[in-house]
Amino acid sequence: MKHLSTPLARKIALYVALTLTAFLFVLPLWWAIISSFRPNDAIFRDLFPFSLRAFLPEPFSLDAYVGIFQRGFGGIIWNTLLVSGLTMIFGLVVNGLAGFAFAIFDFPAKNTILAVIVVSFMLPFEAIAMPLYGVVQQLGWIDRVAALVVPSIANGLAVFLFYQFFRQVPKDYYEAARLEGASPLRILWSVYVPLSMPTCISAGLMLFIFQWEAFLWPLLAMPAQEFKVIQVGMASFQEQYTTAWNELFGVAVITALIPIVLLLPLQRYYVQGLAGSGLKG
Amino acid sequence: MRKHPYLLIFMALLPALLGLALFRVYPIVLALFESLFSTYRGDRLFVGLENYDLLLRDSGFWQSLKVTLWFNLIINPLQIALALLLAIMFVQKVRFIGLFRFLFLIPIGVSLPVAVIIWRIMLLPDGLVNGFLGTLGVEPLRFLTSPDLALYAIIAIATWKGISYWMIFIIGGLQNISPEIHEAARLEGASAWQRLWMITLPLLKPTLLFVLVADVTINFLLFAPVFMLTNGGPRGSTNVLMYEAYKSGFVFGDMGRAMAIVVILVALLLVIVGLQFWLLSGRGKGRAAQ
Repeated sequence: MKHLSTPLARKIALYVALTLTAFLFVLPLWWAIISSFRPNDAIFRDLFPFSLRAFLPEPFSLDAYVGIFQRGFGGIIWNTLLVSGLTMIFGLVVNGLAGFAFAIFDFPAKNTILAVIVVSFMLPFEAIAMPLYGVVQQLGWIDRVAALVVPSIANGLAVFLFYQFFRQVPKDYYEAARLEGASPLRILWSVYVPLSMPTCISAGLMLFIFQWEAFLWPLLAMPAQEFKVIQVGMASFQEQYTTAWNELFGVAVITALIPIVLLLPLQRYYVQGLAGSGLKG
Repeated sequence: MRKHPYLLIFMALLPALLGLALFRVYPIVLALFESLFSTYRGDRLFVGLENYDLLLRDSGFWQSLKVTLWFNLIINPLQIALALLLAIMFVQKVRFIGLFRFLFLIPIGVSLPVAVIIWRIMLLPDGLVNGFLGTLGVEPLRFLTSPDLALYAIIAIATWKGISYWMIFIIGGLQNISPEIHEAARLEGASAWQRLWMITLPLLKPTLLFVLVADVTINFLLFAPVFMLTNGGPRGSTNVLMYEAYKSGFVFGDMGRAMAIVVILVALLLVIVGLQFWLLSGRGKGRAAQ
């Protein structure tokens, strides 16, 4: 490591490493984005022999996006927004209420139930997706939107995030409002919810992105494929239009765009939510 | 806190607890139960442990188990080492670091299926990667259709997508290490390499343990890339247990076998996670105390 001992040499090495890593992350996405703005026959044109023109959107064309929406991808985006939005709204209410009850009240077996909830979110959804099919089949929900939304509403991590936050709010707030005659639900709504906006955003974002990125469960739960969500829709698009490369790239760009647009301004809250899940470790 | 409004507590907890019981706990029970049945000409028959017995004598199952373990043996250490490296770069305080941090976070917004679509086209025999390699004089490689390369292509794709996510947790751990410790070590003449091994890694151990457990859990159950890219092939080289279970249950309609595989997979996962806790936290503490 002698040659790295001068500050300048170390700095150069650091910048080289940073730049190379950034290129590895960005280049595939860049190629996907510009390729989605080229006609299909131009995508592999500049690769053999390789030329840097492969990274320029020329000739520029919107064919891919026109094609994608003509093939009904707009409906798939709408379906996914619906599923993710419903899960987020119901999930915030259901998990927020449970977190509130755990934080404010004492009741028998509270710690045991909390422990079970923590364990429940350590086991990922994929582990139970296949047996869950049996449960949802018994409920008669296969190929119904309920199969996608309802099982994802109750979320151990979201309960835990709300519980952790509400526990930190001084108990005096609750006691004082009680003395003034406010009901517990009213206190939750007008005192605790406004205080917990960052937690609401973390938990909401988590629930939304979880649904946006869901793949295995929608694949199993909607075998008729009449109601498709975006990740599954993208995979079946790949199977159907194997060589519509520019459209495949366009579909991938659209699918990635929405979480990125959400995450850019709200990144801080998402990271806080993740850190909350890390606390248990 | 004096009065206990039990009805209110009950109503507030009911939806969440019912949901978790019905959609998290009950499926596990159902998997254990269903793995004891077999479907024969449309009839469900109780067969006891026969599904497990058949699996243990099925070379396809063992092959798939081998692929799963090999895949995990490579991908988990690789992802954690790279995520650590990425996190160390992320926390450097140099000019333009804000731009690099932004770029490092981008793959978090990219879902695994999106990564798979993009990389599949990049890895085609006439795709971007082979175009690059062509400038170095390498003949085009068949990344996804060669039994020697397909599993490693999946490892590369999942790693590309995954390490930014794990980096976030490690950054949190790095920020908890007080800069004074590093400063003191530097004044004592410790090199950057020594500080990494003697200070950063030991203090980062709880974070790394969490990341390792969470990462192993996800990679043990990895499904989308195999489904979208290779369907377990070529020649079974990417046929991880998760995909084998899916095929049994949802392609061949043998739910009993599928559930038996899921039960074995989750049991194996629990054993491995337990082992990691035991090795890295239990014994680690004992050693530190010596």
